[in-house]
Amino acid sequence: MWAIIKKEVKTYFLSPIGYVFIGSFLLMSSLFFYLYIFNYGSLEYSYLFYYTAELLTFTIALLTMGMFSSERKNGTETLLLTSSRSITSIVLGKFLAALVVILITEVFSLMYYAIVCIFAGGITELTIVLSTLVGFILLSMAYIAFGMFISSLTENQIIAGVATIILLIVSWFLPNLSSSFNVISPLYQFQDYPQGIFPINETITLLTQIGLFILLTIVVMQRRKNLK
Amino acid sequence: MSIITGFIEPTQGKVEINGYDVSKKARKAKREIGYMPETTPLYSELTPKEFIKYMAELKGVPRKERKQEVERVMKAVNIEDVKGRIIRNLSRGYKQRVSLAGALVGNPKVLILDEPTVGLDPKQVTQIRDLIKSLGKNHTVLLSSHILSEVSQICKKVIIINKGKLVAIDSPKNLEEKTEKENKLLVTVEDPEDKIENVVKGISNIDKIKLVKELSDGTKQYSISSKDNTDMRKEIFASFAKNDITIFELKKAEISLEDAFLDLINNQQSEPEKTKEEIKKEKKEMKAKQKQEKQNKKLEKNKQKEEQKNKKAKKTEKNKKKGGDK
Repeated sequence: MWAIIKKEVKTYFLSPIGYVFIGSFLLMSSLFFYLYIFNYGSLEYSYLFYYTAELLTFTIALLTMGMFSSERKNGTETLLLTSSRSITSIVLGKFLAALVVILITEVFSLMYYAIVCIFAGGITELTIVLSTLVGFILLSMAYIAFGMFISSLTENQIIAGVATIILLIVSWFLPNLSSSFNVISPLYQFQDYPQGIFPINETITLLTQIGLFILLTIVVMQRRKNLK
Repeated sequence: MSIITGFIEPTQGKVEINGYDVSKKARKAKREIGYMPETTPLYSELTPKEFIKYMAELKGVPRKERKQEVERVMKAVNIEDVKGRIIRNLSRGYKQRVSLAGALVGNPKVLILDEPTVGLDPKQVTQIRDLIKSLGKNHTVLLSSHILSEVSQICKKVIIINKGKLVAIDSPKNLEEKTEKENKLLVTVEDPEDKIENVVKGISNIDKIKLVKELSDGTKQYSISSKDNTDMRKEIFASFAKNDITIFELKKAEISLEDAFLDLINNQQSEPEKTKEEIKKEKKEMKAKQKQEKQNKKLEKNKQKEEQKNKKAKKTEKNKKKGGDK
């Protein structure tokens, strides 16, 4: 699994995808930070994450769309599946590699917190920031797992990417339709974290979503072996 | 080949590699295999060195030996001069060799090569063939190819499969000999007076003579076949010389593996393919059978349960009786 993580992270940064993702994410974060926090003289760093979480809904597909679809298109899927690695470790390896990219972005975005701290004259609201970061990572994991699952269904990167974005947007707005859809919307589950609460219910829901889609990806890959 | 390498699960039958069942002990079986797919899939954004290293990691080559192993394999397929370039920019021949290196890494006991020389220039083809030959000394090499001259050069054993059915397993030599039914000679002569047919009639043993082609320098090539397996070359030479027919070339017509292949495929009675309905019927029958088996099993289980119950009941009765006696 370690080999796969290493190689996948490397590929993200050999192709421009990794840079484009981090770059666009930070650019937009800077904009949000200036408009909604800096301009108001606010010290609520975690507030930024409401915007970046919505942004992530659009950009996560950059990382996930090629995960399995491009491998299938190039035929390199053969290399993975005929190696002695199990499908589970392949899927988890790819999942964690995308998570590494998110974590790198996260580290970069801590600079906004540093700016806030400078203005506040010391470290402020540490617990809120921590719960926000944990929530954001859980949200990214849920998004990655979902995008990965979509990517395993098709061999066309574009279709995988567009389908991921559209479905994630749908899940974003579904709670407005009826509150019974709250559970399937990762973004809705995220709402409580930046308020400094560490919600157990939401954490469990997000973890369930992550597990479910990782499992589904494994099942899809396993099934494809039998259906060919 | 996809089934052998564990890429697809078999619907029927099983594959064992060095004693490991591919679908049950997948990990161990896959460790024994090095596979080079026909389309030579590669990660085009990596360099050959990175690619081979990644393959070594995937195959579980221990960390200490990895560097050495990568170097060894790169040397074996002779790609050291391009190891730092990006695979996307390499020529077809190099890509092929990088793919082969990926199969070789980790020193697997069985090598499965799917059309390894397709798309290479003649020099590279001979290089790869020599490499495969030398690999054959220490590994089992399973090679699929449509180029039969290549097969007869490299392989010790040939398996011919036609429409999913096994047609023949033998050494290339045996296959060629089997199809060699008649003793055929090719002779090129200068014969301005066209006496050859009459002359040939004078030689016993000769079955037929046929003009193959007229060459531009005025000579003609004939094929001559004999009735039995005796060598006619001496006789032909003597009688042609007597009649002033000059022989430019005289040789045995060799039957290649290609002829053998065509012969085998044509001889095999082409079975009418099953229609969809037939297949459906078969499936239905299979399902019915399975159902019955299940039911039988259930019935048996129920019987056993009942027997056990009866036994228990008897026991309790006995115990009761005993109790009563006491």
